Amino acid sequence: MLILVPVKRVIDPYAKVRPLADGSGIDTTGVKFEINPFDEIALEEAVRQKEKNPSVEVVAVSIGASECEEQLRKALAIGADRAILIETTNTYDSPMVAEELRHLIEELQPSVVLMGKQATDDDNNQAGQMLAAKLDWPQATFASKVDLGSSAKVTRETDSGEETLELPFPCLITTDLRLNEPRYIALPGIIKARSKPLDRRPPKVTSTPKTRRVRVESPPPRAAGIKVGSVDELVAALKDRGVLA
Amino acid sequence: MPSEATLLYPGGAFLSQTPDRIFTVEDFSSDEKMMISAAEQFSRNEVMTVLDRLDAQEEGLSPALIRKAGELGLCGVDTAEEYGGLGLGKNLAARILEYMSLNGSFSVTYGITSGISQLGLTLFGTQEQKSHYLPLLTSGEWIGAYALSEPNSGSDALSATTRAELRNGKWVLNGTKMWISNAKWADLFVVLAKVDGEAFSAFLVERDHPGVTIAREEHKLGLKGSSTARLVLEDAEIPESNLLHEVGKGHQVAFNALNIGRFKLSSMSLGPARDAMGHASAYANDRRQFGQPIANFGLVQKKFAEMAARFYAAESVIYRTGALIDEAFGLFAGSVEGNRRAAEEFALECSGGKVLSTEAEAFIIVECLQVCGGSGSAEEFPIARHYRDARVSRIYEGTNEINRIFLADRFRKRGVSLAASGDSFISEVTGRAMRIDTKDQVTVGAQSDLLLLAYAEQSARLRSKQVADKYQNAYAIFVNWANAEAARAFQTATGEAVALPAPEQSDIEALAEQVYRSGGPV
Repeated sequence: MLILVPVKRVIDPYAKVRPLADGSGIDTTGVKFEINPFDEIALEEAVRQKEKNPSVEVVAVSIGASECEEQLRKALAIGADRAILIETTNTYDSPMVAEELRHLIEELQPSVVLMGKQATDDDNNQAGQMLAAKLDWPQATFASKVDLGSSAKVTRETDSGEETLELPFPCLITTDLRLNEPRYIALPGIIKARSKPLDRRPPKVTSTPKTRRVRVESPPPRAAGIKVGSVDELVAALKDRGVLA
Repeated sequence: MPSEATLLYPGGAFLSQTPDRIFTVEDFSSDEKMMISAAEQFSRNEVMTVLDRLDAQEEGLSPALIRKAGELGLCGVDTAEEYGGLGLGKNLAARILEYMSLNGSFSVTYGITSGISQLGLTLFGTQEQKSHYLPLLTSGEWIGAYALSEPNSGSDALSATTRAELRNGKWVLNGTKMWISNAKWADLFVVLAKVDGEAFSAFLVERDHPGVTIAREEHKLGLKGSSTARLVLEDAEIPESNLLHEVGKGHQVAFNALNIGRFKLSSMSLGPARDAMGHASAYANDRRQFGQPIANFGLVQKKFAEMAARFYAAESVIYRTGALIDEAFGLFAGSVEGNRRAAEEFALECSGGKVLSTEAEAFIIVECLQVCGGSGSAEEFPIARHYRDARVSRIYEGTNEINRIFLADRFRKRGVSLAASGDSFISEVTGRAMRIDTKDQVTVGAQSDLLLLAYAEQSARLRSKQVADKYQNAYAIFVNWANAEAARAFQTATGEAVALPAPEQSDIEALAEQVYRSGGPV
């Protein structure tokens, strides 16, 4: 069974980011990059499946510039068997990511695509769903539990409670935060990763993004609030501002 | 013959030669950087979240953390693979240690078991000793300790009175070892004792050997989360095969462990300094007075700029030295004699790095506390703990005073050229001051200051040239400080006046801004 895990290189989610002076993007000088945390959860889940079932092969893929090798090496250190870098400096929107992955999936024929529900940089929450649609595969989004047997059983947290879905293979699963807690990278894993294959290939997508980034700016600084002395004063202040009737 | 091999820049060569390149932390490979950040992640998530529990010495907590670190391969980075280690370099091991050392207490627990407790075995152990003990230590299953000091024998280590006698095929040890880090939870102690009260020798003593007891915990100023107690040996019986190295050669085990130990301690002392700078920088940007963050004020910026400069220089020195040590091990190691030579080659640089780094740590933590004002002195805030923990860095692994005697003395004994290259003001005055051959401690101490400043200035300068732009200000601010220190030391050593060179152009505000942006050293 082959599990494909797309991993995106994102700015360290804990880093304080600031927009470039001209508003064209984020200033990345001196900023660390990481695997998108949701993708890391997907990778962790795939590696756990592999640890339970040795016939599972885990392939990590990333789309982007050559620096993405850093995240793919990390994926190999965590436990992926091999990695593929679709090397491009083009800007991708979600439909393009889905299309690029579709080409790869048609070639690799994985049983499962496990990926983060969204990336912490753009927060689009689209690529997985679009990919499933393009492939016409069953999908389960926001997985909080995954059980791969003769079919995939996926538990997802919804507003009304837990929902469990059963999906035939091949299928696509996107992961939520509570699915697992990713492991620490073990140093021997990093050494082992050196001898694992990492293939680079050119992109297949020729389309261009349908959306255009107009401007990136910091949220305006919050004005200072006021302190009220009692509940009555609070209620009065809220009424005053039309928040309460 | 390994002794035929030569180093391009042997120990002490920094005074008479200027290398084209030195190793800097920027030169670690991407794999190595991944290992370093794995260590940092472990430290931040597993250690820095349980500091109060560590300081209370919660039962089983430290051994559990060591086991967890061992499972991740962190407890034997520079120990050979055949003994469960990773077989990687000492320089990388030191950088990993730096990040495992964000908290001083855990730093000691981890530093001793992953470092000095394995080093004697690695360098001088027999095949059987290594195969038996090293895998237990590299896996984190066992914790190691090192027992040299005694109630009446500290800096004067060879005056130890613990005795060993061979009786009926067993070594019988009697005496008290003091200030033994990890004593409470160690399973293996490398113990120095005198055979028949004469021949200084090293022994591998297990906690469970008969006659071995651990006294009560010392109540220390800081490092409350590290265990420190006496190891009491009362007719302690250990197998004859647990002699480490040869009878009468204990000083080689002890002092070579200390050379590398000092190198490792240098990186251990940067860890807390890094953490303190992070907290102080966040505080300075958050705390508003007179309508703006105190981070904007000139005197606060000056503090951060000086901290960054001192940290930068210490870091430049440590990892330059580590690469040299790795080179020496690559050339000489293998035989016991080769191992000894490799561990000794850069003893000067190890001592100099220890003094520089521990004094940089002290300076940085004091200034961080000052930046945080009243909060800095409150136990609820993280700096107070660092302040208490950091004090002993200048005391153990050879006091900075002993290191200051050792440096100049050893430099002369090594027979390296005293003709300074004159590649800087400090190099030039150091060359002049070294012409005085004396045993007067004050003069020797001043000469040592000059030597370590010369090494630091050269390391900081070469790194700033190699890594374009980034360290220009850190170097400039460091050299201005170092030149003044060197002038004072020169005057102490020679009694002659010396004029300071013109200061390097520096931008305090820009360097402080670099600290604020990185949330720590630059």
